Amino acid sequence: MAMSTASRVRRQLPTSPWLFAAPGLLIIGAFILYPFVSTLVNAFTDRRTLIPGRFVGLANFRELLQDDMFWVGLRNSTLYVVGVVPALVVLPLLLALLVQKNIPGITFFRSAFYTPVVASIVVVGLIWVWLLDERGLVNSLLETIGVGRVGFLSDQWLLLLSAMAVTVWKGLGYYMIIYLAALANVPRELHEAAAVDGAGAIRRFLTVTVPAVRSTMVLVGALSSVAAFKVFSEVYLMAGPSGGPAGEDTTLVMLVQRTGTGLTGRVGYASAISVVVFVVTVALMLLVLRADRRDES
Amino acid sequence: MPTSRRALVAAFAVCLALPLSACGSGGDDGGTADASGKVEGDITFQTWNLRANFKDYFEGLIADFEKKYPGTDVKWIDQPAEGYADKISADAAGGTLPDVVNVSPDLVAPLAKAGLALDLDKAASQYRKEYLSGAWASHQIPGMTGTYAFPWYLNTGPLFYNKSLFEQAGLDAEQPPKTYDEVFDAALKMAKETDGKVATLANVPTIEDFGRYGVELMNKEGTAFAFNDAKGVELLTRYKELYDAKALDPQALTATPESSGKKFLTGAVAMNPGSALDLGNFKKQAPNLYRNIGITDQITSTGHVNMYVMGVMVNAQTKRAPAAVAFAHYVTDAAHQMSFAKQVAIFPSTAGSLDDPYFTKEDGTDETRVRVAAAKSLKNAVNYTPVLFSEQMKTELRNEVAKALQGKESPKEALDNAVKACDTLLQQQG
Repeated sequence: MAMSTASRVRRQLPTSPWLFAAPGLLIIGAFILYPFVSTLVNAFTDRRTLIPGRFVGLANFRELLQDDMFWVGLRNSTLYVVGVVPALVVLPLLLALLVQKNIPGITFFRSAFYTPVVASIVVVGLIWVWLLDERGLVNSLLETIGVGRVGFLSDQWLLLLSAMAVTVWKGLGYYMIIYLAALANVPRELHEAAAVDGAGAIRRFLTVTVPAVRSTMVLVGALSSVAAFKVFSEVYLMAGPSGGPAGEDTTLVMLVQRTGTGLTGRVGYASAISVVVFVVTVALMLLVLRADRRDES
Repeated sequence: MPTSRRALVAAFAVCLALPLSACGSGGDDGGTADASGKVEGDITFQTWNLRANFKDYFEGLIADFEKKYPGTDVKWIDQPAEGYADKISADAAGGTLPDVVNVSPDLVAPLAKAGLALDLDKAASQYRKEYLSGAWASHQIPGMTGTYAFPWYLNTGPLFYNKSLFEQAGLDAEQPPKTYDEVFDAALKMAKETDGKVATLANVPTIEDFGRYGVELMNKEGTAFAFNDAKGVELLTRYKELYDAKALDPQALTATPESSGKKFLTGAVAMNPGSALDLGNFKKQAPNLYRNIGITDQITSTGHVNMYVMGVMVNAQTKRAPAAVAFAHYVTDAAHQMSFAKQVAIFPSTAGSLDDPYFTKEDGTDETRVRVAAAKSLKNAVNYTPVLFSEQMKTELRNEVAKALQGKESPKEALDNAVKACDTLLQQQG
């Protein structure tokens, strides 16, 4: 009886599931699918902001290969992943272990570590620019202790490292929360058993905690590597719109912004760079997931 | 099942077709809207970051216009300074460009090329004689005939210097440098005396600096850049000397006008270009600096100082061309430019306005001294930035200049590369 009612409903309202899904599908279509397909199509045209594009085949991609700034962007975005991801996988876990215990006042520290996450990236960027300025607080301290002034914002590599430090500092709290949730699920008995077997704190961390939160570490690795490869705000705010001295700190997303926006923007070329960013991002995700699967097997 | 597959294929086709269809706008021969006829109807007017300080002025101006032309209704939109070009490009691409738009010459060029700016030589030539000829010409685009915006306000400014820093370095604070050679010599002395702690300049040379130094920026036809000549190389070589001696701020390679302005406020650099507007800022934000402020003329080797020009463009696709043209002219006519100039430290682009006693008589204050000097210099000032010099080109020049200063390329190589990159971008602009 129940079966026949259900099939009657299905016969009478074959579109009802689509109606329920329609708002979500519309949003996805308008804000994800359409821009994605549009970018893909534009990548094969010479479209400019105000000038309609013509199909140019792979010309944009061929130009990319000869564009020094593209290679600078690819290098910097890759370096960002290499520099930021390990820090964002390990440091928040250590931080989570520190604040995991319910001792008096711990809420204050948890909140303090999480504060940078909710702060505006523009505000955070400006604060760090003031701190790291040639005459900023950090350089004044360094001068006081006799180290001398350091060109955090004028040296190409120090600038990139400074931006990485800001990304790590801002992301610590977010990933710490994810790790806290994962740590809450680690059975206490495992730690107790390891302790009975004579394992010290470091050994327990390596043989109990790390395996227990391994899947969370993979998740954090995947999320942070995608975010790091697509970095824009931190570098833009600290290195300026030109991408640091001689543009040497430009990342791929900055190049997309610089090339594709404005009244004379090369939308087709910028779309081609975006396609490369997309392909690399997907490849990064697959790489992390494959590494995880191999380790599991 | 076959139906759903067909639907899926159709949906996919639509997805592919939609973006392609978006490629089809613009590019027609614009500038031909008919501006004759009765001034009536609703129009939109967009300004560039002016509401915060001049709300009353613009509301009064709009009310007066609507009273003068019954049946008109002006909707005023103000956009923030940040991302203004992006906002215009989004509107232009989306077909929602306002009827009357506040623009600068470099913004007009791509809009005119896309047929979105009304040619005023055709639609409003009767007003041409009301403006300074140089200001009217500032919205003409090489390779195109016509003028694509009414000139609005002009600005220029002196070079400010910190007298106290000059004295500490043993420089004569009452005899500031007047020529490029004197500036460079003073900068090197300042760096030497302060052990590199105080730089004199905070910005790398821009296209305007090359222009003021006497470098030929483009060929006569406006089809190629030419700032890699011997004069350009000479200027960059001098800057390299300053950079090595720390007479040019080490952070100059990434500086913006805002960041260098802050450095001047904090006494980290000794000289900075500015305008009459800045005196108020110094007084409020850095009273110590204000007490020690020195003011000297903009340095130029050509006898012409640089000026910035604002314009008011009429959308060539407006449905209310008579009202839009009438309003754009109303905003920029002599009476309204004069009244706006009394609200803020800007200068009118209308013929004869700069001879008004407001711009010729000093009352002993620094404000009027700067105003009178600026108004005098504007009479033969030049907008050095070529209208075709886009943001991307500015970045190319800046990056190549930085490479030369860092010693990664010789000044000649850097400028050759910059010219090559800018020429490529120019050709791509069409």
